[in-house]
Amino acid sequence: MAGRFFPAALMARRNLTRTKMRSLLASLGIVIGVVAIASLGMFGVALQYSFTQNLGNVGNQLTVYPNSGENVTELTERDIRTIRREASPTATVSPVKTRAEPVSYNREDAVRKTIYGIENPGELYEAKEGRVSPFRSGALVGSSVAEAHDLHPGSQITINGTSVRIRAVLEEGDAFSSTNPDNRVIVPATSFSQSGYSEAYVIESTGTQANETAMGIRDSLNDREQRVFVRELGSLVDTIEEQFQIINTVLAGIASISLLVAGISILNVMLMSTVERREEIGVLRAVGYQKRDVLKVMLMEATLLGFLGGIAGVILSLGAGLAINHYAVGDAMAVFRLPNAWYVGAAFAFGVLTSIVSGLYPAWKAASEEPVDALRG
Amino acid sequence: MTVIDAQGLVKRYRTGGQTLYALAGIDFALEAGEFVSIMGPSGSGKTTLLNILGLLDTPTEGTVLLEGQDVTGLGDSKRTALRKRTIGFVFQHFYLLPTLTAVENVEVPLLLDSDPQVKKRARTLLERLGLGERLDHKPDELSGGQKQRVAIARSLINSPKVVLADEPTGNLDSETGRQILDEFRRIADEDDVAIVAVTHDDLVNEYVDRTVHLVDGTIGRERKNGG
Repeated sequence: MAGRFFPAALMARRNLTRTKMRSLLASLGIVIGVVAIASLGMFGVALQYSFTQNLGNVGNQLTVYPNSGENVTELTERDIRTIRREASPTATVSPVKTRAEPVSYNREDAVRKTIYGIENPGELYEAKEGRVSPFRSGALVGSSVAEAHDLHPGSQITINGTSVRIRAVLEEGDAFSSTNPDNRVIVPATSFSQSGYSEAYVIESTGTQANETAMGIRDSLNDREQRVFVRELGSLVDTIEEQFQIINTVLAGIASISLLVAGISILNVMLMSTVERREEIGVLRAVGYQKRDVLKVMLMEATLLGFLGGIAGVILSLGAGLAINHYAVGDAMAVFRLPNAWYVGAAFAFGVLTSIVSGLYPAWKAASEEPVDALRG
Repeated sequence: MTVIDAQGLVKRYRTGGQTLYALAGIDFALEAGEFVSIMGPSGSGKTTLLNILGLLDTPTEGTVLLEGQDVTGLGDSKRTALRKRTIGFVFQHFYLLPTLTAVENVEVPLLLDSDPQVKKRARTLLERLGLGERLDHKPDELSGGQKQRVAIARSLINSPKVVLADEPTGNLDSETGRQILDEFRRIADEDDVAIVAVTHDDLVNEYVDRTVHLVDGTIGRERKNGG
């Protein structure tokens, strides 16, 4: 009945079934192209998604540290006051002192390790075991340190020959954050004799606010010379996401080569078909088919090939997407997210478009042959 | 009533500096309901004449009037539209589409019009030609004679004024050829359709009103049949 409403489609469909194997192989090219584009696209999306998940909420963090190239070795109390002034009232500003000390755990040999002095670690960290605040003595250790040396609240470690009691083991931090405590040993800032700070963390409520604060700090502290660096994780995240976008585009570009090949194979199949059906097309022209009618029938064939290949490709891509998301993100259903739909849709559209474009030349060739010449053979 | 009136038809081809005359001045008129055969040796210009009468080709000189309208200088798309409306074609090799059934093949000329009446008319035509039992058969399930009947039904689907046949019996045995010629005769008489058949087959001449002999692109002797 479809033939009633779409007679060109009827003829096209029948013509394709005439050489089933050939049509199948031609649309197999489109299938592969669509699957390649869609699944590489979805792979990129999954990669980006799992990266963002690992990254956590770091876009609102700033780290201010001195520019040793300008012989600034530490941040002064005044610098810290300036930073507090530039930061918004709700922001957390944590100045940090560091020094390297020989540390030994459980009477093992001492190794040199950077010790962090933080005044109020309760602003930055949560305890996994024990209590972070109040923090006047003792030490906090990150989860990796605790695990490596079997440390718990109450355990003793030795820092520079002095025995110190562990007060808490800290929760794991975000992998890319500069405040990540996992590998750190933290002691009260008051135990440091030096007055300057080696860095300061600023945590704002939003990424935008963090960006403004970063600019304010740079303006105030780098007035005459580049005294400090301000590292914004937010812009780092942006950069990384841009990189992912580029990688995705390149992947999709590579995948489209397979569609190009598919297009050439459709071109070839259609050209063969126009040569084989030269007389038939001549008859169609003789019995009153206009050039554009012949064009329509031939293009319909190419479009059908593209549609068949495209639909099969989309189904296979969804399967591939389920697998990719299952392994990369750990949630197969993540395949039904918007960016994936975009890639699948674009792959389908490109597949159909490729077929139509490839059909154009053969269709034009068939349509513009003089019926007298076609029928002479 | 004169359906086709062609005057002073000349068709020249230029090949490699030589000028070949396929037709060298031919006058040809065709009345409604007339069944005419065109005979002549190969290269005498039969097919060229048929192509020009069927608006598939244009003459180098001369005029063609189709139902009184000058169609000589028309462009491809206008000629195509006129073919669709007034002319039917039957070919020696039938040229049915192998993927379509008998009925669908008959529908082909009007298939893109999406007119629901066409299918009914196609069935009626096939039934009239004795193929009522074979409506949904594909061409490879039909004999040569049956294929040619399908082709004739196809040539009639647009209720043409003229049917042009190129060697319509050329691929058929003489018994089947007679049946096909009977059909042509009947169509000319009953439907008042003019039929021109280009042929080598003397059998055809038993059925036609007159025979035109072509020799080297000109009209030789013309013989009128009594029938």
